[in-house]
Amino acid sequence: MLENYAILPCNGLDKSAGVISGEIAKRLCESAENQTICPVFYRVSEKKYNRIAGEHPVLVIDGCQTRCATKLAAEKNLKISKKITITEEAKTHNVELSSNLRLLENDNALIEKILTALNQSEDKLPIIPAEPSVTYDFEYETYQHGKFIFRVPKNPEVYYNENDCWAYVIGNHARIGVTDFVQQNLSDILYFTPPEIGDEIDQFGEIGEIESSKSVFELISPFSGKVIAINSPLEQKPELLNENPYELGWVAEIELTDIEGDKELLIGFDQYLKIMKKKVEDLNG
Amino acid sequence: MSETTFMGVERNRIDWKPTIDYTKCDFCMECTTFCPHKVFEVRECEEMKLIVRNPDNCVVFCRACSKLCGPDALSFPDKNATTQRIKEIRKEESNA
Ligand code: SF4
Ligand code: SF4
Repeated sequence: MLENYAILPCNGLDKSAGVISGEIAKRLCESAENQTICPVFYRVSEKKYNRIAGEHPVLVIDGCQTRCATKLAAEKNLKISKKITITEEAKTHNVELSSNLRLLENDNALIEKILTALNQSEDKLPIIPAEPSVTYDFEYETYQHGKFIFRVPKNPEVYYNENDCWAYVIGNHARIGVTDFVQQNLSDILYFTPPEIGDEIDQFGEIGEIESSKSVFELISPFSGKVIAINSPLEQKPELLNENPYELGWVAEIELTDIEGDKELLIGFDQYLKIMKKKVEDLNG
Repeated sequence: MSETTFMGVERNRIDWKPTIDYTKCDFCMECTTFCPHKVFEVRECEEMKLIVRNPDNCVVFCRACSKLCGPDALSFPDKNATTQRIKEIRKEESNA
């Protein structure tokens, strides 16, 4: 059961997804000890809600990908513990949202599904990270552009794709994460959505998402394989990604299915460094 | 590796770009404000106020702008098919 949360819905009044976000907040507060943060009042007066958000884990409910509630949470420096987006939930649950601003049957069905899933997610046992059996030692080359410093691991076991994700291969396992380029660009990372343990990922398939107030970055897996571990501390401390996206900020581990085939489409340190430098220069002049 | 190749393949041989669904787009311009690669072009005086002008500037496998699009109006080709196609082109080129 989802309880003792501070709930921040976007509460958008002109789209059904926004109306649904507000309805879910209401329902969560009716059925359990949760408190709603009104996004409109929060903009003009923050004392009360800063206190509530400081004392409780925060659930952010965005209606659509404009992410108004997430951006508000970022502006107010809130720590987001959980987050859903109604339009994404509608896709997951295969429900067509109505364009009507009054809740229709399909909207109510979706609300029930989301509430059930939210309550169940609370009852799930926490994932205990596996004891690391191997150590990943990184040796860095650094590149500075203006005030930004980018570390790039130069170990030969580390492979990159041109989408700024790395994989450190040991045996038939790889640990995966993003490079400094990604975390510098996103700036303060607010939220991490991990892949599921057991997910079968294609090469260049999505292996989690990280999000800041600026943007959402989809992690693109350098290798194909099955997810065997996720860095669960990141769910509560996504800022570890900003501190060091290679060490404490790694994202997932996979069991590789086609190491040699996949390597053909990957690059090593030298090439990645060149590509990254060019991207940094193009972006920052 | 020059700026017009991706994984050793000429960029213009890889079909990867956003497609705008004009029945959904509300021209909020979030996508073009966000994307630093000049993929989109704003055309204030025309009915289609936004077009995909430079598809080959789009970073292969990136879908970042679609994650910011409220009405979910942007779509991309299938990733797997694109990867397979890149592999085929590489093979053709190494055999050539
Ligand atoms: S973000 Fe979406 S709705 Fe806004 S202009 Fe781009 S395609 Fe259109
Ligand atoms: S997918 Fe990425 S590179 Fe392509 S247009 Fe969107 S933001 Fe720009």
